[in-house]
Amino acid sequence: MSFFTDFYNKVFSFFKPQENPESNVKDVARSRLKLVLMQDRTNLTPKILEQMRGELIDLLSKYVELDKDLLELNFEQEGDQVALMLSIPVIRAKDEKEIEEALKKDALIKGIQLAEDEEDIEEIEESAETNNNDNENSSEETIDNSANTELCNETEESVETENNSESSADNDTSNEEHENNNEKEENQEQNTSSN
Amino acid sequence: MSGRVIVITSGKGGVGKTTTSANIGTALAKAGNKVVLIDTDIGLRNLDLLLGLENRIVYTIVDVVEERCKLKQALVKDKKNPNLSLLAAAQTRDKSAVTEEQLKDICETLKKDNDFILVDCPAGIEQGFQNAIAGASEAIVVTTPEMSAIRDADRIIGLLAAREEIVTYKLLLNRVRPNLIATNDMMSVEDVVELLACELIGIIPEDTGIISSTNKGDPIVNDDKSLAGQAYRNVAKRIMGEEVEFLNLEEDKNILGKIKDFFEKKIKEIKAKI
Repeated sequence: MSFFTDFYNKVFSFFKPQENPESNVKDVARSRLKLVLMQDRTNLTPKILEQMRGELIDLLSKYVELDKDLLELNFEQEGDQVALMLSIPVIRAKDEKEIEEALKKDALIKGIQLAEDEEDIEEIEESAETNNNDNENSSEETIDNSANTELCNETEESVETENNSESSADNDTSNEEHENNNEKEENQEQNTSSN
Repeated sequence: MSGRVIVITSGKGGVGKTTTSANIGTALAKAGNKVVLIDTDIGLRNLDLLLGLENRIVYTIVDVVEERCKLKQALVKDKKNPNLSLLAAAQTRDKSAVTEEQLKDICETLKKDNDFILVDCPAGIEQGFQNAIAGASEAIVVTTPEMSAIRDADRIIGLLAAREEIVTYKLLLNRVRPNLIATNDMMSVEDVVELLACELIGIIPEDTGIISSTNKGDPIVNDDKSLAGQAYRNVAKRIMGEEVEFLNLEEDKNILGKIKDFFEKKIKEIKAKI
Protein backbone atom coordinates (compact mmCIF):
# COMPACT_ATOMS: atom_id res chain seq x y z
CA MET A 1 0.00 0.00 0.00
CA SER A 2 2.66 2.48 1.08
CA PHE A 3 4.75 1.43 -1.91
CA PHE A 4 1.88 2.31 -4.17
CA THR A 5 1.29 5.74 -2.62
CA ASP A 6 5.01 6.54 -2.67
CA PHE A 7 5.26 5.61 -6.29
CA TYR A 8 2.17 7.61 -7.11
CA ASN A 9 3.50 10.71 -5.30
CA LYS A 10 6.82 10.38 -7.08
CA VAL A 11 5.20 10.17 -10.47
CA PHE A 12 3.07 13.21 -9.87
CA SER A 13 5.78 15.29 -8.27
CA PHE A 14 7.76 14.65 -11.42
CA PHE A 15 5.06 16.18 -13.57
CA LYS A 16 4.19 18.95 -11.17
CA PRO A 17 6.05 22.25 -11.51
CA GLN A 18 8.56 22.63 -8.70
CA GLU A 19 7.23 24.75 -5.88
CA ASN A 20 9.69 27.00 -4.17
CA PRO A 21 8.66 27.37 -0.52
CA GLU A 22 10.07 30.91 -0.38
CA SER A 23 7.91 31.99 -3.28
CA ASN A 24 4.75 31.03 -1.43
CA VAL A 25 3.47 34.58 -1.25
CA LYS A 26 0.25 33.53 0.42
CA ASP A 27 1.98 32.20 3.53
CA VAL A 28 4.17 35.28 3.78
CA ALA A 29 1.10 37.50 3.62
CA ARG A 30 -0.71 35.42 6.18
CA SER A 31 2.05 35.40 8.75
CA ARG A 32 2.74 39.11 8.29
CA LEU A 33 -0.91 39.90 8.75
CA LYS A 34 -1.23 37.61 11.74
CA LEU A 35 1.45 39.55 13.56
CA VAL A 36 0.23 42.99 12.55
CA LEU A 37 -3.37 42.21 13.52
CA MET A 38 -2.26 40.99 16.94
CA GLN A 39 -0.33 44.20 17.45
CA ASP A 40 -3.28 46.29 16.28
CA ARG A 41 -5.66 44.45 18.57
CA THR A 42 -3.52 44.45 21.69
CA ASN A 43 -1.59 47.71 21.28
CA LEU A 44 1.57 45.84 22.28
CA THR A 45 4.66 46.86 20.36
CA PRO A 46 7.48 44.39 19.69
CA LYS A 47 9.63 46.31 22.19
CA ILE A 48 7.11 45.91 24.98
CA LEU A 49 6.68 42.23 24.12
CA GLU A 50 10.42 41.72 24.38
CA GLN A 51 10.48 43.46 27.74
CA MET A 52 7.61 41.31 28.95
CA ARG A 53 9.47 38.22 27.81
CA GLY A 54 12.59 39.30 29.70
CA GLU A 55 10.71 39.97 32.90
CA LEU A 56 8.93 36.64 32.68
CA ILE A 57 12.26 34.86 32.31
CA ASP A 58 13.60 36.63 35.39
CA LEU A 59 10.57 35.71 37.42
CA LEU A 60 10.32 32.08 36.35
CA SER A 61 14.00 31.31 36.63
CA LYS A 62 13.76 31.85 40.38
CA TYR A 63 11.85 28.59 40.55
CA VAL A 64 12.95 26.53 37.56
CA GLU A 65 15.96 26.31 35.34
CA LEU A 66 14.71 27.03 31.85
CA ASP A 67 16.02 27.17 28.34
CA LYS A 68 15.78 30.87 27.67
CA ASP A 69 16.55 30.64 23.97
CA LEU A 70 13.64 28.33 23.35
CA LEU A 71 11.10 30.26 25.41
CA GLU A 72 8.30 31.37 23.16
CA LEU A 73 5.79 34.09 23.80
CA ASN A 74 2.99 34.29 21.27
CA PHE A 75 -0.51 35.54 20.84
CA GLU A 76 -2.96 33.03 19.54
CA GLN A 77 -6.42 33.58 18.38
CA GLU A 78 -9.28 31.34 19.33
CA GLY A 79 -12.50 32.60 17.83
CA ASP A 80 -12.72 36.27 18.68
CA GLN A 81 -10.58 35.91 21.80
CA VAL A 82 -6.88 36.50 21.93
CA ALA A 83 -4.83 34.27 24.22
CA LEU A 84 -1.29 34.81 25.43
CA MET A 85 0.60 31.57 24.87
CA LEU A 86 3.83 30.98 26.76
CA SER A 87 5.85 27.92 25.98
CA ILE A 88 8.66 27.29 28.50
CA PRO A 89 11.16 24.49 28.00
CA VAL A 90 12.13 23.51 31.56
CA ILE A 91 15.56 21.97 31.99
CA ARG A 92 14.98 21.02 35.62
CA ALA A 93 13.04 22.20 38.62
CA LYS A 94 15.07 23.84 41.36
CA ASP A 95 15.09 22.38 44.84
CA GLU A 96 13.83 24.23 47.87
CA LYS A 97 17.25 25.47 48.88
CA GLU A 98 17.91 27.01 45.51
CA ILE A 99 14.53 28.66 45.39
CA GLU A 100 15.06 30.10 48.82
CA GLU A 101 18.43 31.42 47.76
CA ALA A 102 17.00 32.97 44.63
CA LEU A 103 14.23 34.62 46.57
CA LYS A 104 16.70 35.98 49.10
CA LYS A 105 18.81 37.40 46.32
CA ASP A 106 15.74 38.90 44.80
CA ALA A 107 14.83 40.55 48.08
CA LEU A 108 18.37 41.84 48.42
CA ILE A 109 18.32 43.29 44.93
CA LYS A 110 15.02 44.94 45.64
CA GLY A 111 16.49 46.39 48.78
CA ILE A 112 19.37 47.84 46.81
CA GLN A 113 16.95 49.15 44.26
CA LEU A 114 14.99 50.89 46.97
CA ALA A 115 18.13 52.35 48.43
CA GLU A 116 19.14 53.53 45.00
CA ASP A 117 15.78 55.08 44.41
CA GLU A 118 16.13 57.04 47.58
CA GLU A 119 19.54 58.16 46.52
CA ASP A 120 18.22 59.00 43.11
CA ILE A 121 15.89 61.48 44.67
CA GLU A 122 18.80 63.09 46.41
CA GLU A 123 20.79 63.00 43.22
CA ILE A 124 18.00 64.64 41.28
CA GLU A 125 18.24 67.53 43.61
CA GLU A 126 21.97 67.68 43.08
CA SER A 127 22.25 67.11 39.35
CA ALA A 128 19.48 65.97 37.04
CA GLU A 129 21.75 65.20 34.11
CA THR A 130 23.78 62.33 35.51
CA ASN A 131 20.63 60.68 36.75
CA ASN A 132 19.06 60.74 33.31
CA ASN A 133 22.07 59.04 31.84
CA ASP A 134 21.89 56.29 34.43
CA ASN A 135 18.28 55.58 33.69
CA GLU A 136 18.85 55.37 29.98
CA ASN A 137 21.71 52.97 30.47
CA SER A 138 19.77 50.65 32.70
CA SER A 139 16.73 50.45 30.43
CA GLU A 140 18.88 49.59 27.45
CA GLU A 141 20.62 46.89 29.37
CA THR A 142 17.47 45.16 30.46
CA ILE A 143 16.34 44.87 26.87
CA ASP A 144 19.69 43.63 25.64
CA ASN A 145 19.98 41.12 28.41
CA SER A 146 16.59 39.60 27.96
CA ALA A 147 17.11 39.29 24.24
CA ASN A 148 20.49 37.68 24.37
CA THR A 149 22.24 35.88 27.18
CA GLU A 150 25.63 36.39 25.60
CA LEU A 151 25.10 40.10 25.57
CA CYS A 152 24.32 40.22 29.24
CA ASN A 153 27.74 38.81 30.07
CA GLU A 154 29.35 41.59 28.11
CA THR A 155 27.29 44.36 29.61
CA GLU A 156 27.82 42.94 33.03
CA GLU A 157 31.50 43.76 32.92
CA SER A 158 30.88 47.29 31.84
CA VAL A 159 28.21 47.73 34.43
CA GLU A 160 30.44 46.70 37.29
CA THR A 161 32.13 50.05 37.32
CA GLU A 162 28.86 51.90 37.14
CA ASN A 163 26.37 52.53 39.82
CA ASN A 164 23.47 50.43 38.59
CA SER A 165 24.07 46.77 39.27
CA GLU A 166 20.42 45.95 39.55
CA SER A 167 19.91 44.85 35.97
CA SER A 168 23.07 42.80 35.77
CA ALA A 169 22.35 41.14 39.09
CA ASP A 170 18.88 40.35 37.91
CA ASN A 171 20.20 38.55 34.92
CA ASP A 172 22.77 36.68 36.88
CA THR A 173 20.08 34.98 38.87
CA SER A 174 18.52 33.76 35.69
CA ASN A 175 21.83 32.89 34.13
CA GLU A 176 24.44 30.37 35.22
CA GLU A 177 23.84 30.92 38.85
CA HIS A 178 26.59 29.07 40.58
CA GLU A 179 29.36 30.59 38.54
CA ASN A 180 28.07 34.07 38.94
CA ASN A 181 27.43 33.95 42.65
CA ASN A 182 30.83 35.27 43.54
CA GLU A 183 30.78 37.98 40.94
CA LYS A 184 27.47 39.19 42.15
CA GLU A 185 28.59 39.49 45.69
CA GLU A 186 31.49 41.53 44.46
CA ASN A 187 29.04 43.62 42.52
CA GLN A 188 26.96 44.28 45.50
CA GLU A 189 29.93 45.08 47.63
CA GLN A 190 31.10 47.55 45.05
CA ASN A 191 27.71 49.00 44.95
CA THR A 192 27.37 49.55 48.62
CA SER A 193 30.87 50.90 48.83
CA SER A 194 30.30 53.29 45.96
CA ASN A 195 27.04 54.33 47.47
CA MET B 1 -43.63 46.77 9.30
CA SER B 2 -40.24 47.10 10.89
CA GLY B 3 -37.42 46.88 8.41
CA ARG B 4 -33.85 45.83 9.01
CA VAL B 5 -31.13 48.46 8.80
CA ILE B 6 -27.89 47.02 7.43
CA VAL B 7 -24.74 49.10 7.03
CA ILE B 8 -22.22 48.13 4.35
CA THR B 9 -18.76 49.18 5.42
CA SER B 10 -15.08 48.32 4.91
CA GLY B 11 -12.59 50.78 6.33
CA LYS B 12 -10.48 50.80 3.20
CA GLY B 13 -11.72 52.50 0.07
CA GLY B 14 -12.06 50.80 -3.28
CA VAL B 15 -12.89 47.32 -2.05
CA GLY B 16 -16.42 47.41 -3.43
CA LYS B 17 -18.76 48.83 -0.77
CA THR B 18 -20.88 50.78 -3.24
CA THR B 19 -20.95 47.95 -5.79
CA THR B 20 -22.00 45.59 -3.01
CA SER B 21 -24.71 47.97 -1.80
CA ALA B 22 -26.12 48.41 -5.29
CA ASN B 23 -26.12 44.70 -6.03
CA ILE B 24 -27.47 43.41 -2.74
CA GLY B 25 -30.12 46.16 -2.75
CA THR B 26 -31.19 45.27 -6.28
CA ALA B 27 -31.23 41.55 -5.53
CA LEU B 28 -33.30 42.02 -2.37
CA ALA B 29 -35.76 44.22 -4.25
CA LYS B 30 -36.02 41.74 -7.13
CA ALA B 31 -36.88 39.07 -4.58
CA GLY B 32 -39.92 41.14 -3.62
CA ASN B 33 -38.66 43.18 -0.67
CA LYS B 34 -39.13 46.90 -0.32
CA VAL B 35 -35.63 48.32 -0.16
CA VAL B 36 -34.16 51.78 0.39
CA LEU B 37 -30.49 52.41 -0.32
CA ILE B 38 -28.92 55.33 1.55
CA ASP B 39 -25.69 56.81 0.24
CA THR B 40 -23.89 58.40 3.21
CA ASP B 41 -20.75 59.24 1.26
CA ILE B 42 -21.53 62.95 1.23
CA GLY B 43 -19.23 64.84 -1.11
CA LEU B 44 -18.23 61.70 -3.02
CA ARG B 45 -21.50 60.15 -4.05
CA ASN B 46 -21.46 57.24 -6.48
CA LEU B 47 -24.31 54.91 -5.64
CA ASP B 48 -26.58 56.86 -8.03
CA LEU B 49 -24.17 56.10 -10.89
CA LEU B 50 -24.05 52.38 -10.20
CA LEU B 51 -27.83 52.20 -10.21
CA GLY B 52 -28.15 54.42 -13.28
CA LEU B 53 -30.20 57.00 -11.37
CA GLU B 54 -27.82 59.97 -11.58
CA ASN B 55 -30.09 62.03 -13.83
CA ARG B 56 -33.15 61.68 -11.67
CA ILE B 57 -31.87 63.03 -8.37
CA VAL B 58 -33.61 66.18 -7.26
CA TYR B 59 -33.20 66.18 -3.49
CA THR B 60 -30.46 64.64 -1.37
CA ILE B 61 -30.08 63.50 2.22
CA VAL B 62 -28.78 66.98 3.15
CA ASP B 63 -31.96 68.55 1.76
CA VAL B 64 -33.92 66.18 3.99
CA VAL B 65 -32.08 67.03 7.21
CA GLU B 66 -32.14 70.75 6.41
CA GLU B 67 -35.87 70.46 5.79
CA ARG B 68 -35.95 71.69 2.21
CA CYS B 69 -38.02 68.65 1.32
CA LYS B 70 -39.83 65.72 2.87
CA LEU B 71 -38.07 62.37 3.19
CA LYS B 72 -40.48 60.76 0.71
CA GLN B 73 -39.76 63.40 -1.91
CA ALA B 74 -36.04 62.67 -1.74
CA LEU B 75 -36.44 58.94 -2.39
CA VAL B 76 -35.74 58.18 -6.05
CA LYS B 77 -37.58 55.12 -7.26
CA ASP B 78 -35.82 52.78 -9.68
CA LYS B 79 -38.08 52.46 -12.74
CA LYS B 80 -36.85 48.97 -13.61
CA ASN B 81 -37.35 47.85 -10.06
CA PRO B 82 -40.14 49.74 -8.27
CA ASN B 83 -39.36 48.03 -4.95
CA LEU B 84 -36.02 49.80 -4.87
CA SER B 85 -35.43 53.45 -4.05
CA LEU B 86 -32.37 55.56 -3.37
CA LEU B 87 -31.70 58.35 -0.92
CA ALA B 88 -28.72 60.04 -2.55
CA ALA B 89 -25.85 61.85 -0.87
CA ALA B 90 -25.19 65.51 -1.58
CA GLN B 91 -22.19 66.08 -3.81
CA THR B 92 -21.39 69.65 -2.79
CA ARG B 93 -21.16 69.27 0.99
CA ASP B 94 -19.09 67.22 3.42
CA LYS B 95 -19.66 64.59 6.11
CA SER B 96 -20.44 67.19 8.78
CA ALA B 97 -23.63 68.18 6.92
CA VAL B 98 -25.45 65.29 8.63
CA THR B 99 -25.28 64.18 12.27
CA GLU B 100 -25.56 60.73 13.79
CA GLU B 101 -28.91 61.62 15.34
CA GLN B 102 -30.33 62.81 12.04
CA LEU B 103 -29.32 59.60 10.27
CA LYS B 104 -30.76 57.54 13.08
CA ASP B 105 -34.07 59.41 12.69
CA ILE B 106 -34.11 58.84 8.92
CA CYS B 107 -33.51 55.11 9.42
CA GLU B 108 -36.24 54.92 12.05
CA THR B 109 -38.72 56.60 9.72
CA LEU B 110 -37.79 54.42 6.73
CA LYS B 111 -38.02 51.25 8.84
CA LYS B 112 -41.78 51.76 9.14
CA ASP B 113 -42.61 51.03 5.52
CA ASN B 114 -39.61 49.16 4.13
CA ASP B 115 -38.18 45.67 4.56
CA PHE B 116 -34.54 46.63 4.20
CA ILE B 117 -32.59 49.85 4.59
CA LEU B 118 -29.06 49.44 3.26
CA VAL B 119 -26.62 52.14 4.30
CA ASP B 120 -23.61 52.58 2.02
CA CYS B 121 -20.81 53.76 4.30
CA PRO B 122 -17.91 55.98 3.20
CA ALA B 123 -14.30 54.78 3.57
CA GLY B 124 -12.47 55.59 6.79
CA ILE B 125 -13.40 55.47 10.45
CA GLU B 126 -14.19 59.14 10.98
CA GLN B 127 -17.46 61.05 11.15
CA GLY B 128 -18.83 59.58 7.92
CA PHE B 129 -18.45 56.07 9.32
CA GLN B 130 -19.95 57.05 12.68
CA ASN B 131 -22.93 58.58 10.87
CA ALA B 132 -23.47 55.53 8.68
CA ILE B 133 -23.52 53.03 11.54
CA ALA B 134 -25.66 55.25 13.77
CA GLY B 135 -29.02 53.79 12.78
CA ALA B 136 -27.90 50.27 11.87
CA SER B 137 -28.39 47.07 13.82
CA GLU B 138 -26.58 44.83 11.33
CA ALA B 139 -23.39 45.24 9.35
CA ILE B 140 -21.69 43.71 6.36
CA VAL B 141 -17.93 44.22 6.31
CA VAL B 142 -16.60 44.16 2.76
CA THR B 143 -12.98 43.19 2.25
CA THR B 144 -10.69 41.73 -0.39
CA PRO B 145 -7.96 39.10 0.11
CA GLU B 146 -5.30 41.83 0.30
CA MET B 147 -3.13 42.92 3.20
CA SER B 148 -4.35 46.47 3.67
CA ALA B 149 -8.02 45.66 3.10
CA ILE B 150 -7.87 42.89 5.71
CA ARG B 151 -6.08 45.04 8.24
CA ASP B 152 -8.63 47.82 7.83
CA ALA B 153 -11.50 45.34 8.01
CA ASP B 154 -10.09 44.11 11.31
CA ARG B 155 -10.20 47.64 12.70
CA ILE B 156 -13.78 48.05 11.51
CA ILE B 157 -14.77 44.71 13.06
CA GLY B 158 -13.25 45.88 16.34
CA LEU B 159 -15.27 49.09 16.24
CA LEU B 160 -18.48 47.27 15.33
CA ALA B 161 -17.97 44.67 18.05
CA ALA B 162 -17.64 47.43 20.64
CA ARG B 163 -20.97 48.89 19.61
CA GLU B 164 -23.99 47.47 21.38
CA GLU B 165 -26.50 48.59 18.74
CA ILE B 166 -24.86 46.37 16.10
CA VAL B 167 -26.31 42.92 16.76
CA THR B 168 -24.57 41.01 13.97
CA TYR B 169 -21.75 41.70 11.57
CA LYS B 170 -20.66 39.45 8.76
CA LEU B 171 -17.86 39.35 6.25
CA LEU B 172 -18.21 39.68 2.51
CA LEU B 173 -15.04 38.70 0.67
CA ASN B 174 -14.92 40.54 -2.60
CA ARG B 175 -12.71 40.30 -5.69
CA VAL B 176 -11.55 36.76 -5.02
CA ARG B 177 -9.27 35.43 -7.75
CA PRO B 178 -9.26 31.62 -7.74
CA ASN B 179 -6.40 31.38 -10.23
CA LEU B 180 -4.13 33.38 -7.88
CA ILE B 181 -5.24 31.33 -4.89
CA ALA B 182 -4.42 28.14 -6.79
CA THR B 183 -0.83 29.32 -7.35
CA ASN B 184 -0.52 30.42 -3.70
CA ASP B 185 -0.16 34.06 -4.71
CA MET B 186 -3.31 35.15 -2.93
CA MET B 187 -4.69 34.31 0.49
CA SER B 188 -7.54 31.85 0.36
CA VAL B 189 -11.03 32.42 1.70
CA GLU B 190 -10.21 30.19 4.67
CA ASP B 191 -7.08 32.24 5.44
CA VAL B 192 -9.03 35.50 5.55
CA VAL B 193 -11.83 34.04 7.65
CA GLU B 194 -9.28 32.62 10.09
CA LEU B 195 -7.41 35.92 10.37
CA LEU B 196 -10.50 38.03 10.91
CA ALA B 197 -12.47 35.48 12.95
CA CYS B 198 -15.72 36.68 11.42
CA GLU B 199 -18.62 34.77 9.91
CA LEU B 200 -18.87 34.84 6.12
CA ILE B 201 -21.93 36.03 4.26
CA GLY B 202 -20.55 35.94 0.74
CA ILE B 203 -17.64 35.25 -1.55
CA ILE B 204 -17.66 37.31 -4.73
CA PRO B 205 -15.26 36.37 -7.53
CA GLU B 206 -13.39 39.05 -9.43
CA ASP B 207 -15.46 39.69 -12.54
CA THR B 208 -14.65 42.01 -15.42
CA GLY B 209 -18.39 42.22 -15.99
CA ILE B 210 -18.54 44.58 -12.99
CA ILE B 211 -16.75 47.25 -15.02
CA SER B 212 -19.23 47.14 -17.87
CA SER B 213 -22.18 46.91 -15.50
CA THR B 214 -20.97 50.06 -13.72
CA ASN B 215 -20.48 51.76 -17.07
CA LYS B 216 -24.04 50.90 -18.03
CA GLY B 217 -25.49 51.81 -14.64
CA ASP B 218 -27.02 48.36 -14.37
CA PRO B 219 -26.01 46.21 -11.35
CA ILE B 220 -24.49 42.85 -12.26
CA VAL B 221 -27.18 40.90 -10.36
CA ASN B 222 -29.40 41.66 -13.34
CA ASP B 223 -27.09 39.56 -15.50
CA ASP B 224 -28.19 35.95 -15.08
CA LYS B 225 -25.03 34.54 -16.63
CA SER B 226 -22.51 36.38 -14.46
CA LEU B 227 -20.84 34.42 -11.66
CA ALA B 228 -20.42 37.57 -9.55
CA GLY B 229 -24.11 38.31 -10.09
CA GLN B 230 -24.96 34.81 -8.91
CA ALA B 231 -22.76 35.29 -5.84
CA TYR B 232 -24.53 38.57 -4.98
CA ARG B 233 -27.94 36.96 -5.43
CA ASN B 234 -26.83 34.27 -2.98
CA VAL B 235 -25.80 36.94 -0.47
CA ALA B 236 -29.26 38.47 -0.73
CA LYS B 237 -30.81 35.04 -0.10
CA ARG B 238 -28.64 34.55 2.97
CA ILE B 239 -29.71 37.96 4.27
CA MET B 240 -33.31 36.83 3.87
CA GLY B 241 -32.52 33.79 6.00
CA GLU B 242 -32.11 31.11 3.36
CA GLU B 243 -29.27 28.66 3.60
CA VAL B 244 -27.31 28.77 0.39
CA GLU B 245 -24.01 27.02 -0.22
CA PHE B 246 -21.04 29.13 -1.20
CA LEU B 247 -20.14 28.99 -4.88
CA ASN B 248 -17.32 26.68 -5.85
CA LEU B 249 -14.81 29.08 -7.33
CA GLU B 250 -12.00 26.61 -7.92
CA GLU B 251 -10.49 26.86 -11.33
CA ASP B 252 -11.21 24.06 -13.73
CA LYS B 253 -8.21 21.81 -13.53
CA ASN B 254 -6.34 20.40 -16.47
CA ILE B 255 -6.50 16.72 -17.34
CA LEU B 256 -3.57 15.77 -15.10
CA GLY B 257 -5.11 17.56 -12.14
CA LYS B 258 -8.37 15.76 -12.68
CA ILE B 259 -6.65 12.39 -12.86
CA LYS B 260 -4.78 13.20 -9.66
CA ASP B 261 -8.00 14.18 -7.92
CA PHE B 262 -9.57 10.92 -9.04
CA PHE B 263 -6.71 8.84 -7.65
CA GLU B 264 -6.56 10.80 -4.44
CA LYS B 265 -10.23 10.15 -3.89
CA LYS B 266 -9.73 6.43 -4.56
CA ILE B 267 -6.77 6.24 -2.19
CA LYS B 268 -8.77 7.94 0.53
CA GLU B 269 -11.57 5.42 0.04
CA ILE B 270 -9.15 2.51 0.22
CA LYS B 271 -7.48 3.93 3.32
CA ALA B 272 -10.85 4.40 4.96
CA LYS B 273 -11.66 0.75 4.36
CA ILE B 274 -8.38 -0.41 5.88
